Parts: sequence; structure tokens; C-alpha cells
Amino acid sequence: MKKLLNFQTYLPLLFGLGSTTLLLGAWWTVSLLTNNEIPNPLSTWTVFSEMLATPFYDYGPNDKGIGNQLFSSLLRVFSGFGAGSLLAIPLGLLIGSSKTAFRLINPIVQILRPVSPLAWFPLGLLAFKAAEGATVFIIFVTSLWPTLINTAFGVASIPQDHKNVAKAFGFSRWKYITKVIIPYALPHIITGLRLSIGVAWMVIVAGEMLSGGVGIGFFVWDSWNALSLEKILSAILIIGTVGLLLDKGFDWLQKRFAFS
Amino acid sequence: MTSNPITAPIDSASEFHKIQSRPASIEVKGITVSFKTPKGVFTAIKDIDLTIKKGEIVALIGHSGCGKSTLMGTISGMTAPTNGQVIANGAVVKGPGPDRGIVFQNYSLLPWLTVYKNIYEAVDSVFKDKTAAEKREIVEENLKMVNLWAHKDKLPGQLSGGMKQRVAIARAFAINPSILLLDEPFGALDALTKGSMHIELLKLWNLDNRNKTIVMVTHDIEEAIFLSDRVVVMNNGPEATIKEIVEIPLPRPRNKKEIVHDPIYMETHDKLMSLLFDKFSIEDE
Ligand SMILES: Nc1ncnc2c1ncn2[C@@H]1O[C@H](COP(=O)(O)OP(=O)(O)OP(=O)(O)O)[C@@H](O)[C@H]1O
Ligand SMILES: [Mg+2]
Repeated sequence: MKKLLNFQTYLPLLFGLGSTTLLLGAWWTVSLLTNNEIPNPLSTWTVFSEMLATPFYDYGPNDKGIGNQLFSSLLRVFSGFGAGSLLAIPLGLLIGSSKTAFRLINPIVQILRPVSPLAWFPLGLLAFKAAEGATVFIIFVTSLWPTLINTAFGVASIPQDHKNVAKAFGFSRWKYITKVIIPYALPHIITGLRLSIGVAWMVIVAGEMLSGGVGIGFFVWDSWNALSLEKILSAILIIGTVGLLLDKGFDWLQKRFAFS
Repeated sequence: MTSNPITAPIDSASEFHKIQSRPASIEVKGITVSFKTPKGVFTAIKDIDLTIKKGEIVALIGHSGCGKSTLMGTISGMTAPTNGQVIANGAVVKGPGPDRGIVFQNYSLLPWLTVYKNIYEAVDSVFKDKTAAEKREIVEENLKMVNLWAHKDKLPGQLSGGMKQRVAIARAFAINPSILLLDEPFGALDALTKGSMHIELLKLWNLDNRNKTIVMVTHDIEEAIFLSDRVVVMNNGPEATIKEIVEIPLPRPRNKKEIVHDPIYMETHDKLMSLLFDKFSIEDE
């Protein structure tokens, strides 16, 4: 019985080891099959650890540490995502609580939502006259939809019971918004934010490949030009890990604000 | 307020008749409520007339689904009648108001607010001119009345059904309405807690010189007789109407233990039973 318990506690660890082995095995196989054109995990690891050893060096515009690149990307992601959320949440609250607003705005949302981030890029350039602004702009314009839609859905699904309380005790509009609508919709809003940050992190790489400068997406493009596949693979691992961490962060928030 | 001669506590048997000479508190006039459903129009209650006097306690009984909550809804203003109108405190009811405190059948607490906050937000909405300290005092007083002060920081999800019900009661009492509308307020309580809630309800009513009008839906005949001046028995729906109004001429204060031996009590109990269950006895024969 005791042994079984021990086994149970190590189970996640064992599964973690299992999936790592699986990934490395597949990777190595591909590497072997391509005659090392795709570098194997070991040579990638050498480059990767070099990158991590000095993450914050700065030798001019085209040669910066991976930490600097990552930091620039995160800054853009959070600017665009932040601005998007600031628009999406209030707009979502409005669409969710007013049928008129919904019927007016929903078609626009449906048309703009599926547009590729790359299609927005020239518009961003036109508006901001700079690649930097354009990159933040495409993050803004593509990451706001999940938050908008989830917020609106949350508000629209408030049970009649909760509305009755506000009606019966004469809650003011402000009290209704802050004590009924927002607390009820909060878990939905956080779910939206979680999806949105995921989108933003996907878009940043594409955006930076177009815009150049400093950033993880640019780093990938630059490494391709320098024909360093080890660096590209390292960057992919980093992008994946950061994406996972962002998702975990919002997952934690979601659990924190769930009432039951 | 106490200038009205009838408002002083009266413990005589003639009290009931004096209540009938008081001004009307609630006038239900020709109320019909129909719901639009996918299968067509469903008329829950039809042409209901009922006048309830100021300071009267009225119990509403009838089989499940006959339209008790619907009728209560038209008085509270939560449900707009299809036909007819309700006059409460001299004004036509157009929606809910602070003069009418509601205890919903399903408690309707906000799950993200603590017990304390659930009551505070209602008090805060109704008493806009009171200071925060005064409002806090009101909340505390009412939570202590329902014996939930120790649980004030819990969320509704952490409460038992009976506790939730008591929060809902405290919330309705806290806004000090002249009309209390209670939809099965004690339904989820055990006999002991129910008994003490009855005492609290009557205490509150006495405290205010029996000026508060109380309309209460219940399935408990003993409770209806013990608390009320009149019991309104409803027919089964659809198109439910009032079957009969039974007066309870028992003197107040009523003692729960002694009252059951009173011949008037037993007679009334029998009458209500047969009004509710006549259908079954006919089928049995
Ligand atoms: N919003 C609604 N839409 C359609 N039908 C409704 C609605 N509300 C109530 N009804 C119907 O009206 C009838 C009366 O319902 P009501 O809730 O008033 O019954 P009740 O007497 O309070 O029952 P219970 O004792 O079970 O609480 C029922 O048949 C119910 O199905
Ligand atoms: Mg009901």
C-alpha cells in the first residue's frame, strides 16, 4: 500500500521523463534520417547552453543576447495584448448586456476575427509609420477577439437568479456592473485572456520576421540567414516554453478567481 | 407612528376583526398571468382578486406548480401581470421596490459575495442616505437575528440550504420593508430552526407594532395556521384561482405547544387538509 502511494507520487515525474524521451527520440531519428541536416539534440544543446550562458549581451543592433530578444518580444506582446484587452473587455461587457449592441457589433467581429495577422501588417505600417508600431498593432488586432467573445458570452449567460437580486433590491447600474456582471463574467474573461495571450505569442514570431529589429521572431529569421539551425531549434524550444509559462500563468489566475 | 390605536400589541380574540378594519396594504385586482411557451400561451393564474390589510399575515398554500410564486411575483413586481393590477401601499406596482422585501424560493444569493456582503449590498442599495457605520450596524443586527454572525465571512457555496435560506431572510428583513413577501422561506429548515425562525418573524412583526404586512407561501399547514391571520388556498393550475380563504381566528400571542389542542386549531387544520386533498379522497373511494 505504501509502495503504491510512493509510485503514485512519482508518476507525474515518470510521465515527464517519458515524454521527454519520446521527443528527443523522435528528434534524433529525424536528425539521423536527414544526415544531420537537422541538428541532433546534443549539438543543439551545445549551442543552446552557449546562448543561455550570456543571455543579455549587446553587440550592436544585429547581435544581441537571447534574453534581450525575448524581453523585446514579451514587451511587444504585452503592449499589444494589454491594449487589446483594454478594448475587448469593456466592449465585451457591452455586447453581452445589450442585444442592440450585439446585433450591431457581432457581424463586424465575425468579419474581422478570421483575418490573418499578416494582412493587418501594412495597415499598421501605414498608421504608425514604423515597424515597431505595426508589430504591436497586429498583436492588438488579432489578440482581442477571444477576450471580446468570451467576455460577451459570460455576460450574456448571467442566470436570471442573479439578475433578480439586482432588480429586487434596486441595485444601481454601477453596482449591477461591479457586483453582478463582472464577478460572474470574470472566469469567462480570464479564459478569454488566456486564449488571447496564446494568440499574441503565436503572432509575435510572424510579426517580428516581417518587422526585423530585436525579438525572438527576428532571431529565428536571422539564424536562418546565418544558417544556424541549432539556434533556430533552440529558439523554437524557448518560444514553446515561454508560451507554456504564459498559459500556466493564466491557468493559475483562472483557478484563483473561480468561485464555486 | 404609534398614534394609530390599533397598532399597539393586542392579545385579545377580537384582534383579528380589528385587522379587517385596517387600511389595505396589498390589493390584487383581476390578476392574470400568462407565459409564452414554445407550445403556446400558458395561463398560470387567472382573475385573482385578493385584498390584504396592513399588518396582516397571510399564508398562501396550494399544490406545487399551481402558481403561488407567480402570484407573489406580481406583488413583488418581479413578474408583470398579463391582465389586472396590483396596488401596494397605495401605488400601482410597476416593478420591485424597497417597500417590499422578497425572499425568493431559491434563495438567490450572489455566490461570489460573502454572507455579510450579500446583505450589505442590498442594504447599501436601499438606504442610500445612511452612513456606512449605520449600514454595517443593520447588517450585523440582522445576521445575529438569524444566528449567522459567526458565518458572516463564508461564501454561499459553503452554507447548508437552511443557512442560505436564513441569509435570504436576513437580507429581506434588513431593508425594513413594510411588506414582506416570503416564498417558502422556511422550507429547507429543520423543525427546530423553523420553530425559532417563526418566533423571530413574529418578534419582528411585534417590534414594529404589527404594522408589517407579511405574505408567505408555504406547504406546511401547521406553520400556516400558527403564523397567519388568513390562509389563501389556491386551486390547481393552469388558470389557477383562489379556491377559498380560511380565517384563523386564534388569539395572539399564540403558543405553539398549546395551540394544537385548541378546538379552533384542529377544526382549521382539518378544513385546510380537506381543501388541499379532496381530490385524493375522491379518487380513493
Ligand atoms: N417563466 C415561466 N415561463 C413559463 N411557464 C412558467 C414560468 N414561470 C412559471 N411557469 C408555470 O406557471 C405555473 C406556476 O408556477 P409557479 O412557480 O408559480 O408555481 P408554484 O405554485 O410556486 O409551485 P411550487 O410550489 O412548486 O413552488 C407552473 O405550471 C409553471 O410551469
Ligand atoms: Mg413556488
